[in-house]
Amino acid sequence: MGDVLTLSGLEVRAGAEVLVHSVDLLLAAGEICALVGASGSGKSLTARAMLGLVEIDPGVTRGTLEITVGDRSYQPPMSGDFRARKRAFEGIRGAVVGYLPQDAGRALDPLRTVGRQVGHTARLAGRDDGPLPWLDKAGLQPSVAGRYPHELSGGMAQRVVIAQALARGSRFLLADEPTTGLDPAVRRPLLRELRHLADEGVGILWITHDLRATRGLADRVLVMSEGRVVESTTPDVLDSGEVSSPAARKLVDATRRIAGGRVR
Amino acid sequence: MSRVAWVLLAVVVCIGLVAPFGDWERAMTVIPTEAGLGPSPGHPLGTDHLGRDVLARLQLATSAFAGPGLLACAVALVLAVPTAAVSAYRGGVLGSATRFAFTSLAAIPRFVLVLLVLSIYGDSPTTLALAVGASYVPLLGEAVYERIERLRGEEYVLASQAHGLAGGRILWVHLVWFACGRLIGRHLLALFGFYLVLETTLSYIGGFGVQEPHPSWGNMLVFEWGRRSLVDPGLLAPGIALWATLALTDWASESLGEVEHG
Repeated sequence: MGDVLTLSGLEVRAGAEVLVHSVDLLLAAGEICALVGASGSGKSLTARAMLGLVEIDPGVTRGTLEITVGDRSYQPPMSGDFRARKRAFEGIRGAVVGYLPQDAGRALDPLRTVGRQVGHTARLAGRDDGPLPWLDKAGLQPSVAGRYPHELSGGMAQRVVIAQALARGSRFLLADEPTTGLDPAVRRPLLRELRHLADEGVGILWITHDLRATRGLADRVLVMSEGRVVESTTPDVLDSGEVSSPAARKLVDATRRIAGGRVR
Repeated sequence: MSRVAWVLLAVVVCIGLVAPFGDWERAMTVIPTEAGLGPSPGHPLGTDHLGRDVLARLQLATSAFAGPGLLACAVALVLAVPTAAVSAYRGGVLGSATRFAFTSLAAIPRFVLVLLVLSIYGDSPTTLALAVGASYVPLLGEAVYERIERLRGEEYVLASQAHGLAGGRILWVHLVWFACGRLIGRHLLALFGFYLVLETTLSYIGGFGVQEPHPSWGNMLVFEWGRRSLVDPGLLAPGIALWATLALTDWASESLGEVEHG
């Protein structure tokens, strides 16, 4: 059996309000699963819950996460005792499940150079080869290592974050709208990089609100609305418009209006 | 250029730290026949009205604030930073309680608090240093708390957690050392300056602080006041030394701010 991440029955609450309702999700090694939906539909919250990083009260109240990598299996407790959760998630964050943030510029420590940050991430994975091989793999020049985050463009910052993910060697990657705010010339190579990572066996959950971008890149698409997964389909089916849920229909129609007919 | 300030400040502090171990006969021995001399090769700043060498007394007086000033900084650092950092990072009830404690303590004027402690526990330099250091805890704690509370929700902290960095490393390396290091440095320099002014003031007023025959820049000023002309180097020297040392702490402190905001 290949590497697989299974999330079952996830429920997240803020006080009495339920923000994520019983979400099930399966992510296999080597696939890109797009999680699409309007802003506030619970996509990012679902991803953060999978990293044990929900900081609202009471947060995750129900759900199980099971990750199988080779012959090892991880089942961090998603709710209950804080210390037990902290210990369990610290063991899988980065090493097993990585994270590509939405705003890469803000996801880098503003007071440390790129080289130190990427090098440190590599050391966390037990690699002593420094930052340069990983910057090179992410398509960046060695000179970037000496720069501070505020000296990078949006696309370069995103590549630095990808370099960190490569250096960390995560088996699964949660990419939270990693191309938001980037122009198409920068966005396309980054999306190709994600595809390349998946081809190397990394399972990627790609959070986006851009249905058009999923075509040709994602293997599967999950549509979220009001904290629920309302549709599980493929980019081709979305493109044909044969969707069953009203929320997915609304998303497809809106995208078509922008694109002029087809979801592309 | 700010390095000059750091080097000169370090020199002053080093003189103050080693001074108690030196031979200061020229500074302490009363020689009536040499009273009130002007500057000369043997006494570059002249002698006071008891015939003691002013330059030697000026140097020995640095021990009145250097060691105790550093002790006050250490007390504030050890009590304020870990408390503020951990409670701000954890948040919740612990964070609210710590912030309330800092705010409540900060409402008491520092000078009053220090005088109260001196009145109860005596006015030794160690007691003064402990009191000044403790009185600065709310101010330093509040500053560190406010910054870490603001930064802990930043995307880069979340990303560090997601990369698998332990919470302790994120807190102490990323948030305290990198993000608060200069802020803490500026506060400690301000505290050192405050200690210098307070010690000088107390020994100038008398009753508290370093007393004759031991020299302090404060009691040196008051001891010669009215006995010399206002432009006499023997009278001006302690005042100029005080002003110059405060200017150095301010200059060094500014250099930390420039780097942070630049």
